[in-house]
Amino acid sequence: MVLVMCFASEATDARKISYSGGGTLMVKSDSSAKSVYYHYSPSYKFSVGIEAQKDIFRETKGSYLRFNYLLNRKNTDTSQRNLYFLSGVSTENFNDLFYGVEGDWETREFFSGFGYTKTVAASRNISHSYVQIGIAPYVGDYGDFHTWLLLKAKRNSLTEEWQTYPMLKFFKGNVLVEIGYGNQGDWDLHGMYRF
Amino acid sequence: MVCTGFSDYLEKNMNKYFGYVIALLASPIISADQHQMDHSMHKNHAHTGHIHQQAVNGAELDVNKEKFDQFVEDLSFAKVAVISVQGMVCDFCARGIDKTFKKDSSVLKVDVDLNKGKVLVAYKTDQVIDFDDVKHKIQSNGQNATDIQIVSL
Repeated sequence: MVLVMCFASEATDARKISYSGGGTLMVKSDSSAKSVYYHYSPSYKFSVGIEAQKDIFRETKGSYLRFNYLLNRKNTDTSQRNLYFLSGVSTENFNDLFYGVEGDWETREFFSGFGYTKTVAASRNISHSYVQIGIAPYVGDYGDFHTWLLLKAKRNSLTEEWQTYPMLKFFKGNVLVEIGYGNQGDWDLHGMYRF
Repeated sequence: MVCTGFSDYLEKNMNKYFGYVIALLASPIISADQHQMDHSMHKNHAHTGHIHQQAVNGAELDVNKEKFDQFVEDLSFAKVAVISVQGMVCDFCARGIDKTFKKDSSVLKVDVDLNKGKVLVAYKTDQVIDFDDVKHKIQSNGQNATDIQIVSL
């Protein structure tokens, strides 16, 4: 479990809201940041939480109060589509904040998602974007070990370069892990536990 | 003469006595087999027979039969709600539904059929199943319940 907790994601970040009364612990480590994030969902429409983050680009450490809101969801017999608003404000400086949107569309076999966040701070403003597609190599039943093969492309406003790399996503029960390895030699590791 | 008569008597009744002895020795085995057969028939009747493949309103149950049989295997005197759910596309998404129903003290067991988009919930037999309450529980996980079928065991 401890090992699993050493990972989290922008794609697991796509699960920014849990079921009503549910909590989620996420851990993330990639080229832009390392963070530990816990959120609680009083309703399936929004979550509140706190994230301890080390921002590698800005070379800062701090905590953010987080608020995420489900703007739109479309459920069908075979798919689900989501659009989220996400935000956070520093506990030390209310002028240090970020906001953005994330969206995803998922069936049992296919996944696609995107995200855009902008960080506004006195020291430096940065935006991050990503798109992601995925396919399940097999369709497991409830309780099985599930696997996804993903391709992710991400960009930030500092480097202004798109970086594309494959990722693997695994989940079983309440635990989800994602592992990616970029062509610049950096790992994209994400993990999540849902309470 | 006497010897011949006794010999005939033995020959005539040998098969009958032999049959009694065999029957006596074999009786525990026959009983065990019979018991097993009865139990098997009971299981078949209770869990895979036509009665329990129908909802209480007589409609054909839209569920994976194997999964349903497995679900009700250790249940008796219960009501099973087969709930059709939209948006339940992954195991991780369905976890909340599982947890929400398990908080209800009248719920005995919960399982999910992702392939068919169904949630199976076993209730105590005296529980009145309210579809609005079911819909609310599913909605609290962010999905939509569109139909419910109820089976009495």
